[in-house]
Amino acid sequence: MSVTKKTGGKAFEILQNLPRITLANLRPEPGSKQLRRGRGQHGGNRSGRGHKGERQRGNRPRLGFVGGSTPFYLAIPKYTYNEGHSRRPQYQPLTLKRLQYLIDLGRLDTTQPIDLTQLVNARGVTVQPLKRDYGVQLVDEGSDIFAAKINIEVQRASEGAIAAIERNGGVITTSYYDPISLGILIKPVPFFLRGQPIPRRMLPGEDMVPYYSDAENRGYLADLDKIQQARIALALKYGYALPNISKDELYHMLSMRKDVRQIFFGLAPGWLVNMHEKKILKPTDEKLLKYYNS
Amino acid sequence: MLRFTVVFCARGVTKRCVSSLAGESAVPPNLLLPTNLVDPSRHRRPAPPPDTALPILRSCDTSLPAHLSPVRTWVQTLMNPSDEPLGLTELHPDVFAVPPRLDILHQVEIWQKNFKRISHAKTKVRSEVRGGGRKPWRQKGSGRARHGSIRSPLWRGGGVSHGPRGPTSYYYMLPMKVRVMGLKVALSSKLAQDYLHIVDSLDIPTPDPQYLTELIKQKHWGQSVLIVDVGEEFPENILKATEELKTVNIIPAMGLNVHSMLKHESLILTLETVRFLEEKLLWHDVRFSPLYPFKLPYSDI
Repeated sequence: MSVTKKTGGKAFEILQNLPRITLANLRPEPGSKQLRRGRGQHGGNRSGRGHKGERQRGNRPRLGFVGGSTPFYLAIPKYTYNEGHSRRPQYQPLTLKRLQYLIDLGRLDTTQPIDLTQLVNARGVTVQPLKRDYGVQLVDEGSDIFAAKINIEVQRASEGAIAAIERNGGVITTSYYDPISLGILIKPVPFFLRGQPIPRRMLPGEDMVPYYSDAENRGYLADLDKIQQARIALALKYGYALPNISKDELYHMLSMRKDVRQIFFGLAPGWLVNMHEKKILKPTDEKLLKYYNS
Repeated sequence: MLRFTVVFCARGVTKRCVSSLAGESAVPPNLLLPTNLVDPSRHRRPAPPPDTALPILRSCDTSLPAHLSPVRTWVQTLMNPSDEPLGLTELHPDVFAVPPRLDILHQVEIWQKNFKRISHAKTKVRSEVRGGGRKPWRQKGSGRARHGSIRSPLWRGGGVSHGPRGPTSYYYMLPMKVRVMGLKVALSSKLAQDYLHIVDSLDIPTPDPQYLTELIKQKHWGQSVLIVDVGEEFPENILKATEELKTVNIIPAMGLNVHSMLKHESLILTLETVRFLEEKLLWHDVRFSPLYPFKLPYSDI
């Protein structure tokens, strides 16, 4: 085809005529080592600590202390809008533009339901359950270029994003994962290696139940009929023709939905996965079955 | 940064010696040559011309992008000591022809040397030295300097104030991709300087170490040779032959490292090893970042 590039190029040719590279020949890159010798070591005479006093003697007061008057962080009064800010649930945003990018590169498989596990495996989002992340929210930036028919499950979604997905004949569901289930969902293999049975996914708390029971948000606790009505209403609002999914060849895949207590497709709570022997162990005791099926 | 001066002087000396002895290539026996000087009777093998009749015994497993072309080298045999190569092999340029990053080579070599180091040097502090609890003499009136204990660092036999404290570890890890790049640079520089030799398999006719030494001398492979093979079992003959020899060493492919490659003059790889190395080293160019350690099972990487 075009001119083949020689990786290494001139340096390679020069190397052919130089002596053999040995342990005695290697030297660090000039300027990489910052070596001071003699009395300049550790900063010299006073070692960068100044002269006498608390500075040199390492006895300065605590951070925020301003000499005795009321410090800034105490003088400013608290207000309720910041209350519990570190405990609020956070949702990592996922734009439709990024979703389309991942699908185009083949990192996401559109013939299977797209879950948070699939998104993390494709390295599309990074979720940190320990930093009060409760999942992923779908944001409608890039809704004009989005063109993929997918069955996606996220934790929150904006109206525009829902409209964009349904316009292309896809299905979107919002569902809740409590922090432990979320940790299991994003890294399934380390969880299976722990040797614990899959737990039940907890239901959302009081404040989140209205969100997930609402058909407008396509919540997983809402009625399917109301969801259908909401789909039609949204299509009218945004002005697109709602495609009929039931006549689609991938209808079975698009209608796949997880049970309220289920974390993984195909695995029920209570089951134990043995990765080394590639076996799944299911409970047989009545009490356990009753607990896991409740 | 390689020093030219010593080598050029010695090269000049040998040139003068060679020209004075009409037609002979012998070097005078009392001449002290530096160790990194190329053996005067060692001649560089020319690269295989594109129109050789010899067969290509192995081509690259992965398809190369259009702008890269594979590097071709001779394949030799250890069975008969003749100089004729058996065939050619194609080597992936992203493993065997990467830019010669000598600074990465240095970093990886220093890391290999230091990360295992635990220095056990420990000195006793004034509180650890036996004795020295009592004030030796009263504070005032004795005429001597004031002291609180006989084991303070000022005293003979006292503790060391800022000495080495306990086992110190010098452990650190370079990023995985830097270590991989170090291996690639080492392999590429061996190939560029004609110290890399590919062999079809490690079968030799006798377990005699003498046979190996003569073979190495005949082929001008240098003072020290590192032989690398893949697999759990090696042919018995080569194992017995290398057992007694100090400068000829055999290692499995998983044990290939930059320090060994730099220490030995020549590197001998089998075709299987080349395939294994290419597979393992090229994977790092296309893999995803780890979600959890790579030792745990992944389904898609």
